[in-house]
Amino acid sequence: MLAFDVVVVGAGGAGMMAALSASEGKDLNVAVISKVFPTRSHTGAAQGGINAAMRNRDNTDSTEKHFRDTVKGSDFLADQDAVEFFTSKMPSVIAELDYYGVPFSRDQNGRIAQRPFGGASSPRTCYSADKTGHVILHALYEQCLKNNVQFLNEWFLLSTVVEDGKLEGLVAMDIRSGKIHPIQTKSVVIASGGFGRIYWSRTTNAINMTGDGTAACFEAGIPLKDPEFVQFHPTGLANTGILLSEACRGEGGYLVNKDGERFMKRYAPEKMELGPRDLVSRSIETEIREGRGFGEGMTSYVLMDLRHLGEQKIMERLPQVRELAMEFEGVDIIKEPVPIRPSCHYMMGGIHVTDHETCSTPIDGIHAAGECCSVSIHGANRLGGNSVADVVFYGKYAGLGAKASAKRRQLGNAQRLAGETAKWEQEFQRIREKQSGISMFDIRNRLAETMWYNVGIFRTEQDMKKAYDTINQLINEYEDAYAGDPAEKYNMAFINYVELGNMLKLAKAITLGAIHRKESRGSHSRADYPARDDANFLRHTLVYKDGENYRHEYLPVTITKYQPEERKY
Amino acid sequence: MEKISCKIKRFNGSEAWYQEYEVPYEKGKTILWLLTTIREEQDPTLNFTSACRHAICGSCAVRINGNAFLACNTPLDEVIETFDTMTLTFEPLQNFEVVKDLVIVWEPKMEKMKKVKPWLEPTANGSKETGFLQTEEEFHQIAAPTDCILCGVCASECNQLTVNQDGYLEPFILNRAYRFAVDSRDGSPEEHLRPVLENELWKCLHCMQCVSKCPKSIPLTDEIAYLRSETMKMGEMNNQGAKHAYAFHDDVKKKGRLNETMLPIKTDGLVHTAMTKVPFALRMIKKGKINPFHFPKEVEGIAGVRALYEYAKEVKD
Ligand SMILES: Cc1cc2nc3c(=O)[nH]c(=O)nc-3n(C[C@H](O)[C@H](O)[C@H](O)COP(=O)(O)OP(=O)(O)OC[C@H]3O[C@@H](n4cnc5c(N)ncnc54)[C@H](O)[C@@H]3O)c2cc1C
Ligand code: FES
Repeated sequence: MLAFDVVVVGAGGAGMMAALSASEGKDLNVAVISKVFPTRSHTGAAQGGINAAMRNRDNTDSTEKHFRDTVKGSDFLADQDAVEFFTSKMPSVIAELDYYGVPFSRDQNGRIAQRPFGGASSPRTCYSADKTGHVILHALYEQCLKNNVQFLNEWFLLSTVVEDGKLEGLVAMDIRSGKIHPIQTKSVVIASGGFGRIYWSRTTNAINMTGDGTAACFEAGIPLKDPEFVQFHPTGLANTGILLSEACRGEGGYLVNKDGERFMKRYAPEKMELGPRDLVSRSIETEIREGRGFGEGMTSYVLMDLRHLGEQKIMERLPQVRELAMEFEGVDIIKEPVPIRPSCHYMMGGIHVTDHETCSTPIDGIHAAGECCSVSIHGANRLGGNSVADVVFYGKYAGLGAKASAKRRQLGNAQRLAGETAKWEQEFQRIREKQSGISMFDIRNRLAETMWYNVGIFRTEQDMKKAYDTINQLINEYEDAYAGDPAEKYNMAFINYVELGNMLKLAKAITLGAIHRKESRGSHSRADYPARDDANFLRHTLVYKDGENYRHEYLPVTITKYQPEERKY
Repeated sequence: MEKISCKIKRFNGSEAWYQEYEVPYEKGKTILWLLTTIREEQDPTLNFTSACRHAICGSCAVRINGNAFLACNTPLDEVIETFDTMTLTFEPLQNFEVVKDLVIVWEPKMEKMKKVKPWLEPTANGSKETGFLQTEEEFHQIAAPTDCILCGVCASECNQLTVNQDGYLEPFILNRAYRFAVDSRDGSPEEHLRPVLENELWKCLHCMQCVSKCPKSIPLTDEIAYLRSETMKMGEMNNQGAKHAYAFHDDVKKKGRLNETMLPIKTDGLVHTAMTKVPFALRMIKKGKINPFHFPKEVEGIAGVRALYEYAKEVKD
């Protein structure tokens, strides 16, 4: 049986940082499993940058200001001790990345360049042109090669095996051979990324962002913290959801409905298209709901018109955007308006992390970092540039935490692992042999549709209850889902089937959390409860799964310095 | 309605075959859309890899009608127009091991990449606590090479690699070596350069496939030229490639033209040439292709040629 001291699940920014810190000193046997080859991880998609109060561009900036901005941005739902820990040490992590060879853009003094970003009171977003996540991901991978980190690529986590509140090990499939393996390990770091794909075609996320690690922990008894907080970006491409930068609106793009009207005048008569992300997203969806969009159903859209900026300005300021629109929507923005619609961008919620210094969870031996979990430093709304920062920062601390756990813990119970492995082998066999049933792509599309319409940008009790019922029904139908590939080796249809099961569980938790949060805060915007309600809801939601029963509790928010105030920009 | 016929090379681990699919044409779609449509609507057993779907993760490269493309950012209409056909043949990238259908394996390539130490060997000017200072120009030197997404298109199309997998390095590996060799924060450029030289750097055929197909437009052939000249500066003149380059350089400087008779002797040495190339040369003499008694004279305007050399040298320095 495979046995390690530490296993990291995920090879994105969080996973590779964790692997590097856990293997430092080379006294432990550390392995990373990833369902994709490491440099394919979604961290590579981050363009804008990574926040740290380096004070390179503005020497009035401080880690304290970064702390305050993050808390305010979170609509006061972030845990302030965790945020302060994070912002105070972020500059040193940037220095470390520099030392690892990340090619940061530079200022005239040779220091790392910084740019302004939404919600930040100083320009503190470090970047490398428009490929920040990509270069960080590659530099971390190079460091892993240098340090001979063991990778099990195209291995898929199926279960985290837990008994009596303690980690026993993992079960994972080697996708290439189709063999299912029990893995004994003293500790794990889950770093499996976000799960925007529950909204399927309406997300900026990669095709494989399905929250497998989060679902595995949820199944093993770890609650999800604040799952209802989902960030939407207003300008995703209509066909694919691919992100078009905020710069489009910044440079003066118009949003137009099918009557040719700049509809933002109804919602933000002064700021027009430059209103905040959530307001613009809601306005676009209102137009579509009220029949003033183009197209139908999930493929509805409005137009963003940039033609009046002229060819020169477009080529100078928005060359990337033009390329994306051309390649993915077949539209040249110099000549035509581009179809857009909001897109699910980021999950604030996730695996409940209980200790921000070690990233431990309620299960002894399991640690978590990155978008799969909630520490919580983003609370109800994440600031741009704070996620890649979160990922590398907490990846590092989770690695150190897992290292300490591994030194203290023993390998798990092999028999218990064998039992869970056998269960998955049977399931694999069943799906391979199944000759017919309900198309899993159909279930997936219906899940996305109900989530988009009912637990999306606008939320009401009535809609969300409808979604909850639909999800329950889809969970029933899932039992009869048909994947369609009898192969043993490289059976991606089976992998997609497991991913769909994970998304159904997570979607149900999101919906449950959202129904019960009877207020509007950050990204969670309820038409029936439009105001923030600190008296009742300045608390974290914790959703538990006990067998087939989902339930929720609340947990106080840690407030150290900043008392809640109205969030105005 | 118009249809696209797709012939896809399938592989199940032991057997390979071509399978045909027909997909109704839609305007403004990508190659990835086409593959996804086949998989979701016709054949869930078809495997290929993709993730980000906007040309940053490097998962989705495939060959279409004998040319490598990233599936996600390649417009279907462009491919139809380029090849002037509605019949598209899909195959996995060349020069990689295939696991299944269009899916390839990367680990052996990464083992190979380790030869060039593809990581920063930091100078003493920086530290883990403070990082480094680097000028904007120095950053610009590493900006293009760090665009590489490891998609494998260059390796698939490289003609040298196709005949010489064991000896030659993939263009993306040469790019990594270059990227660290020119990084002002790297204190051991030779550590990246020497392995490049030892792995037949001079065998690049100048076919330009890598540079013309790179989806990120990385100037790979310029990088190879740089690697060659840097290894020569390191005093690495005692190899075929460098000798060949010097033979070119010296001939043209002296006479304004190449002495093709002497070129192999200067490159490979007299003994080696005598053993390997003489029989070939004799056949060429017999057929009247070369005249062994002809020694090239200086071309007219040799002064101009030499002035060009001086100018090139000045620009370089
Ligand atoms: C288009 C886009 C732009 C963005 N831009 C920015 C930005 O400018 N600044 C910013 O701060 N944030 C940005 N974000 C957010 C940020 O990029 C992500 O939140 C962050 O990169 C997540 O990193 P991660 O390490 O947690 O996960 P990921 O990088 O997503 O990695 C997840 C890893 O888990 C593995 N995995 C998942 N499931 C399994 C399984 N079952 N078995 C084995 N392995 C598994 C995957 O293979 C992968 O290696 C952006 C997001 C998007 C979508
Ligand atoms: S899917 Fe990521 S590069 Fe094509």
